[in-house]
Amino acid sequence: MRRLRPVIGLLLIAAFVAMALLASVIAPYDPFKSSVEVIDPPSARHLLGTDELGRDILSRVIYGARTSLIIGLGAAICAMGIGVPVGLVAGYFGGRVDMLVVPLIDLFIALPGLVLALIITVMVGPNLLNLVLVLGFVMWPSVARLVRGQTLALRETLYIEAARAVGGGSAWIIRRHVWPNIMRVVAAQFAVSVSFAIFTSASLSFLGLGIPPPTPDWGGLVRAGFDFLSLNPLMSLAPGATVTATVMGFYLTGSSVR
Amino acid sequence: MNRKWIVCGALSLFAAVVGVSAAQAQSVSPTRGGTLTVGFLSDSKTLDPIYSVQFTERQVLYLVFDTLVKYGPDFSIKPELAESWQLANDGKRVVFMLRQGVKFHDGTPFDAAAVKWNIDQRLDPAVASPQRGQLEPVIDSVDVVDVHTVAFNLKTKYAGLVSVLGERPGFMVSPTAWKKAGQDFGGQPVGTGAFVFKEWVRGNHITLERNPGYWQKDLPYLDKVVFSDLAGSVVGAQRLLTGEIDYVGELGPQDIRQLEGKPGIALAPISVGRWYSLQWHMDEAPFNNAKLRQAIAHAIDRARINEIVMRGKGTISDGPTPAGLWWYDEGIKSPEYSPEKARSLLKEAGYPNGFEYVLSTPQVAALQQINQLAQEQLAEAGIKVKLEPVSSAEWYDRLVKGVTNFSPNRWTQRPDPDGLLYILFHSKGYANTTHYRNEKVDALLDQARETYDIDERKKLYSQAQKQIVADLPMLPLFFSVEYAALRDNVKNFVWIPDQIPRFREVWKAGK
Repeated sequence: MRRLRPVIGLLLIAAFVAMALLASVIAPYDPFKSSVEVIDPPSARHLLGTDELGRDILSRVIYGARTSLIIGLGAAICAMGIGVPVGLVAGYFGGRVDMLVVPLIDLFIALPGLVLALIITVMVGPNLLNLVLVLGFVMWPSVARLVRGQTLALRETLYIEAARAVGGGSAWIIRRHVWPNIMRVVAAQFAVSVSFAIFTSASLSFLGLGIPPPTPDWGGLVRAGFDFLSLNPLMSLAPGATVTATVMGFYLTGSSVR
Repeated sequence: MNRKWIVCGALSLFAAVVGVSAAQAQSVSPTRGGTLTVGFLSDSKTLDPIYSVQFTERQVLYLVFDTLVKYGPDFSIKPELAESWQLANDGKRVVFMLRQGVKFHDGTPFDAAAVKWNIDQRLDPAVASPQRGQLEPVIDSVDVVDVHTVAFNLKTKYAGLVSVLGERPGFMVSPTAWKKAGQDFGGQPVGTGAFVFKEWVRGNHITLERNPGYWQKDLPYLDKVVFSDLAGSVVGAQRLLTGEIDYVGELGPQDIRQLEGKPGIALAPISVGRWYSLQWHMDEAPFNNAKLRQAIAHAIDRARINEIVMRGKGTISDGPTPAGLWWYDEGIKSPEYSPEKARSLLKEAGYPNGFEYVLSTPQVAALQQINQLAQEQLAEAGIKVKLEPVSSAEWYDRLVKGVTNFSPNRWTQRPDPDGLLYILFHSKGYANTTHYRNEKVDALLDQARETYDIDERKKLYSQAQKQIVADLPMLPLFFSVEYAALRDNVKNFVWIPDQIPRFREVWKAGK
C-alpha cells in the first residue's frame, strides 16, 4: 500500500493536469455560453446537467481545472519563493536572524490558514492574481519552518564543517551542500502546498471570495450548486469530487516523497 | 377651503386583474375556524410598530394592528381605521373621519386622541422612532377635532401622506398598553387588529388568536395563526409538502420546481416584483453620451435575461413601474433588442470599435446572473465588460458615494409613486445614484407630489416616466417573480404589491 501511494497520487495529478491542458479539446461545450435550458438534470446531451445560466456543468468543471492548476501551482511557487530563502538563511546563520524569523513564523502558523486568507482577500479584493499571492503569503511560513529545521540540522554535520574549514563561502555552501540535501523535502512540501492552495481557494470561492464570474472554478461551482441540491445534486458533487481527487493526488505524492 | 372628497379605491379595474392568486375561491362561503401555520423566515426583533424596522415583522403587525388606511392590490388606498378623509387649508390639512366603536385588545377605545398620540410618539425625538425621518419633514402637527375626527397639519402639500398611513406609521398602538409595558411592548403588542397576540418564543414561533370583538363583521375566519420559524424557504417547501405548515414565502422560480404539480399545493406568485435595472452615471464618460446609452439599451436582450434568470416567469420591464400599479402607463416603451441598431448607434456615439468598462458585481445571485448575461450580450455589440466583484454591503455604499459608475440595481415598489420615482430620478432624490438631472422631470415630480387628484397625478407621472425612459439614466430589465406556496385548502390569499403577506381574510376549507 505504501508503494501504491505515490502511484495513485501521480495518476491523479496526471489526470488533473491533462484536464487543465486539454480543456478546450475535451469539454463538450463552451463553458461561458448561456442557454435557456436552466438547471436541467443530467441527460445524454449534458452529462452533468446545466447550471443557473444554462451552461454545461461538465464543461465548466473541466475548465475549472485550469483555474485550480494556476492557483495551486502559482501559490505554491510563491510560498517556496519566500519560504525557502528565509528558511535557509535563518537555519544556516542562526543567531539574531533566527531570533527575528522564528517568532514571525510562529505568529503566522498560529493563525489558521483559511481565516488568514479570508481576511486578506476581503481587504485586497478577490481576483486570480490576488488569490495566488494571498495563498502564497499564507503558506510561506510552514515552508520556511521546514527548511529552517532541515538546514539547522545540516549545519552541524561534519561535511559542512569541513567545507567551511577549507574556506567555502556561505552562499557557496548553501548552494552546493545544503540545498541538494533538502531538495527532496522541499519538493514534498511543494506538493502539499499545491493541495492546500487548491483546497483553500475552493473554500474561499465557496464563501463568495473566489474568482469573479464567469470564470469557472471548482469552489465557486460547488457554491452555485448548493442552492439547487434538490434539483440536481451533481451540480455541487461533481466539482466537489474533482477538488477532493486533485487535493488527494498532490497530498499522496507529497507525503510519500517525504 | 375644502376641496373635494378624495375618492379612494379608484381604478378598481386593476384590482380585478392583478393580485388574483392561485388560492382564491370567492364564490364559496368561507369556513370558520382552524389554525393557519405560517412558515416564518424570521428576521423579527420587535413587534412594536413604532420601532419596527425588519421586513418580516410586518407579517405579524398587519394581524395584531390595523392601519389608518389600507392598500388594494394595485396600491390604491382604501379606508380602514379611517373611514374617509378630506382636504382643508388648500391641501395643507388632511381631516380623517375615524371608524366608530373600535376597541383595542385591552378594552380601551380607539379614537382621535389615540391617533394623535400615535403620530406624536413617532414625531417625538425622545422616542427615536425610525419613522420620524419620514414623517417629520411632512407633518407639522396633529389636532383632535372631536372624538372621532382627527386632523393632520402638513408643512407642505404632500399627496403621498395618506398612502404612508397604510404602512408602519399607520399602525395604531394602544396608548394605554404602550405606556404600561414600556420597553416590553415589542414582546407583548396590543392593537385593534383581527388577531390578539398570545406568545412569542424567540427563534421558534409566534402565536396569535382570533379577536372575537373585531370591528369588521365576520372577520377573521381563522381561530389561530402560528408563525413557525424556518431555517430557509427550501426547508419550508419540504415542511409544506408534509403538511406541517400551510404557507411558505420567498420562493424563487427555481425553488418552486419541486412543488409544481404536487397534490395539495397551490402556488401564489407575487403580483408585482422588484424592478431590476442597469445603471450608470449620467455626468461621467462614457455613459454621459446619449447615443452610447441607447446603443447599450439595444444591445441588451431583456427577454432572454428574463427567460434565464426568472425562468421566463418575470415580466419584461419598459420602465420603473410594473403593470398593475395605478401609475403604470402602457404607452411607455424602452428600446427593443437589436444588435444591428446597437452597433450603428455605437458608431454614431463615436465608438466604432466598442469600448471596455467594469461592471460592479455584488454577491447577490440574481445580480451576478444578470451581469454575466449582460457581459455576454454586450460583447456581441463590441463592448467588453469586466465584472468587478464586491461584497453586497460595500456595493451599495460605493453606489451611494458615487464611486461606482456602471452597476445593476434592484428596487422594491413603494405604495406611492412619489416613493420610488422621486428618490431615484429627482435631482434631489436621496437614492439618485445616477446623477440624473432633468429640469422637466424635476418640475413634473414636484408638481405631482402636491397634486391630490389621482387622475391628474397619473398624467404627471406618465409624462415624467416617458422622459426618464427616453433619457435612460437606468436601463429597465425586468420585474422579478417570487412565489408563496400554500396548502390548497388555504383560501382567499391575495398579494399586495409590498410583498408582505396578509393573512387577515384567509380561511381554511375542510379539516
